[in-house]
Amino acid sequence: MPRVMTIWLPRWPVQRRLLEHPEWRSLPVFVCRREGRGAMRVVSWLWAQAMQQSRHRAGGQAVIEAPVQILEGTSLAEAMAMLSLAHGSRACHAALVEHDDPLADRLALEKLARWCRRFAPLVALENPSRPGGHPECLMVDITNTAGFFGGEESLARTAAWTLTARGIHARVAIADAPGAAWAAAHFTHRVAGCKTLSEGKPVNPVATGRDAWRRRPRRWAVVPTATMQPLAHLPAAALRLDDRTLAALDEVGVESIGDVLRLPRKSLASRFGPLLARRLAEFSGSRAEPLEPPTDAELPHAAHDFEVPVSLRDGGEALLMPLLERLVGQCVAEVAAHGKGITALQVRLDPGRAGDATRQSTAPVVIDIGVFRPSGSARHLVDLVRLRLARLRLPREIEGLAVEVIAVAAADCRQRVLFSGVAGEAAADSLLQVAMLLDRLAGRLGRGAVFEPQPVADAQPEHAWVAVPAGVRQPAAATAAARRRGDRSAADRSAADRIGGRGLAPARLAAAGRRPVWMLPRPVALETVSVMPVAGGRLSPGDGGPPLRFRWNCETHQVARAHGPERIETAWWRGPCVRRDYYVVETETGGRYWLFRRLRDGAWFLHGMFA
Amino acid sequence: MPLLELPELAEWRERPVVTSGFRSLDRLLPRGGVARGSLVEWLADDEVSGATALAAAVAVGMATAAGETVGGTILVVDRGGRFYPPAVMPWLAAAGVGGRRPQCIVARPARDDDEVWAIDQALRCPGITAVLAWPRQAHPTAMRRWQLAARSSQAVGLLVRPGRARREPSWAMHRIAVAPVADGALGSRRLRLTLVDGPWSVGGLAGHERSVEVAIDLVRGREATVAEHPLIRGPHCFRQAPPQVHRPAHVPMHSQEGGRACRAS
Repeated sequence: MPRVMTIWLPRWPVQRRLLEHPEWRSLPVFVCRREGRGAMRVVSWLWAQAMQQSRHRAGGQAVIEAPVQILEGTSLAEAMAMLSLAHGSRACHAALVEHDDPLADRLALEKLARWCRRFAPLVALENPSRPGGHPECLMVDITNTAGFFGGEESLARTAAWTLTARGIHARVAIADAPGAAWAAAHFTHRVAGCKTLSEGKPVNPVATGRDAWRRRPRRWAVVPTATMQPLAHLPAAALRLDDRTLAALDEVGVESIGDVLRLPRKSLASRFGPLLARRLAEFSGSRAEPLEPPTDAELPHAAHDFEVPVSLRDGGEALLMPLLERLVGQCVAEVAAHGKGITALQVRLDPGRAGDATRQSTAPVVIDIGVFRPSGSARHLVDLVRLRLARLRLPREIEGLAVEVIAVAAADCRQRVLFSGVAGEAAADSLLQVAMLLDRLAGRLGRGAVFEPQPVADAQPEHAWVAVPAGVRQPAAATAAARRRGDRSAADRSAADRIGGRGLAPARLAAAGRRPVWMLPRPVALETVSVMPVAGGRLSPGDGGPPLRFRWNCETHQVARAHGPERIETAWWRGPCVRRDYYVVETETGGRYWLFRRLRDGAWFLHGMFA
Repeated sequence: MPLLELPELAEWRERPVVTSGFRSLDRLLPRGGVARGSLVEWLADDEVSGATALAAAVAVGMATAAGETVGGTILVVDRGGRFYPPAVMPWLAAAGVGGRRPQCIVARPARDDDEVWAIDQALRCPGITAVLAWPRQAHPTAMRRWQLAARSSQAVGLLVRPGRARREPSWAMHRIAVAPVADGALGSRRLRLTLVDGPWSVGGLAGHERSVEVAIDLVRGREATVAEHPLIRGPHCFRQAPPQVHRPAHVPMHSQEGGRACRAS
């Protein structure tokens, strides 16, 4: 019995943009298309933060619809008026308006479809129910694959949670036919009485009354096999009908799928048009709805098999590199023809099997190359592969070499200038050179060894910064364009720390001169420390002044001056509570150390040096 | 002993010069600044001399000046994994006021040969303004590679090395010994810089200071003047003062009396 899992991504045009710009979640985002005479129509809209707040205010009740009902096709002016009535004029001023980009939406959906191949190998995009509509669903053929995930219920839950972890809001449903799964996914909160084959107990997603505190928005549903009864009460719109057919059904009082099923089949086409009959057949599974996965034409691959195994120890490497350049060049040429660049590449060396006894030596050598910016330079990619090859233990001989493009992205377009020496051209060149440098460094040192530090608002020094993958900044023109669009990059966010555009925020200013340039990975306990006695002569853990003398690195250092204490107490949720009194001490020779006393037991530690 | 030959010295004199951001340091250097495409060695006798802070401040200053046209990227090759970025991030933020903030990228090689290679690759990149590193091994061959790489790209290599390296041959254009001066001010750092034998001695450039004192504003990463920042004070002894407490925002604040804070619940 075939089983299909539908993953519905509501408001996908907006979700795609929110994935690219997470900072937009706090703003209303409209995606509009321009029609005749300059009229702007809303394609999709979302205000993620407002939805979360309304969900909390509703006491955990599942909020399926946005607080403001703005339907697709509403004019932008009307939508803004509705938003203003509900949330005030400030919301309209802060709203972002983006132009519809169906191609980018589809490409992003195809990319997500490839990612969803972890659930099943066959993943396809839905055919939009309306002409000119945007696909928002992924159809996954999970026939005989749910067992790998512990059952269909577990599979649906896993799919929903993993997408949520990636910041994607999705509804998942499993049924016999794509049409039925589509209907269940769009109305997961109303799919009542569902039973799973393995568990056998009903699932009532909508809890009421005293169980309201258990209410959670239901994001997955599993329809039992060979029955459509759990979906009978869903509205007729769940059959993927057009507006005309829905209006015709409404005229005769047909509201639900069950009502449609009770209509005589022979007269459906003549009374309501051929679409209803076709959709009904697809819903029940009597009409096949083949799934067409997106073609991978933009992900080329090239391979070469040797007639006899080639030894890499007899100068075979000299043969390997030209061959690799040729194969990579083929892939780059195919990708560049579509205006794209390679962001991930995989090279596989197939070792020879003849005469190799150990299993380890027959395993293919796989090299994954990633670049920070889409690359259209075969030479650059081959250099990265060469750097990795120098680090690997290659097999004695290989039978074949394969190159496969894993991911592509739109290549950066630069308009050539007639005259050299233009500042913008030089800036773009330097940025490109930096990107290539980062690729080389990451290729040899590892992607985790090359990063850009970003500050974090955390009092504990070890957690006051985070390493993010080194990204290459855009040229000034692109940055200015992004700023006009309201895009807030990390560099602009730092502007929030400035006071009047001249100084730093007081908190940053206070800590700026107190942090050493060198910090030890772990605080090192100091051997002996003499502290300044406090008034009264009592000295207990947690009391006392700065150190007078301490021993470090087999030397005794006499403290001439000390600044502090700077008490840092961190949150208990991260582990043992950290309570430290930090001192910046200066020795008689002028050297500065960063020490702290652990308040729990009064022990002293060296944490950093003002190198 | 300097290794640069006279023809290279003549070529060095033709290269553009950028200010280090410290007037005292510029007075120390023969050409009134740091020549692009050169190496600068900072020799420190111990780990707390302040040489790293000075080198980082110079890097930020050069990247700020370069960011107005091209580049503006600093690459830190941190082999030991001890570089603490929050000490330098306020400098980058302050440098970006009114313009583009310099970018700081950190690379942490795990091996010595990777460190040598990473410094070489970074100095070859035209988009890199300055490279800050603490090379454990600076064999003359490796340093010659770095010097040639810097010359090809016009990047500046800022290498902080131990004081014992003074006796070793070097391809650096400037060798500056750094020694701390005890002053007690929290927001600033005073250092004494002494010029070690460099290529200028071959050319017989006379009349330049051999030793200067420089003050670093640790808040903004530039040259400090006493009256500029309220945190900068004269030397003073420790006084028992109420501690400055940092707690997460949602933890209720406890009252404080004198120099003690209440124990956390």
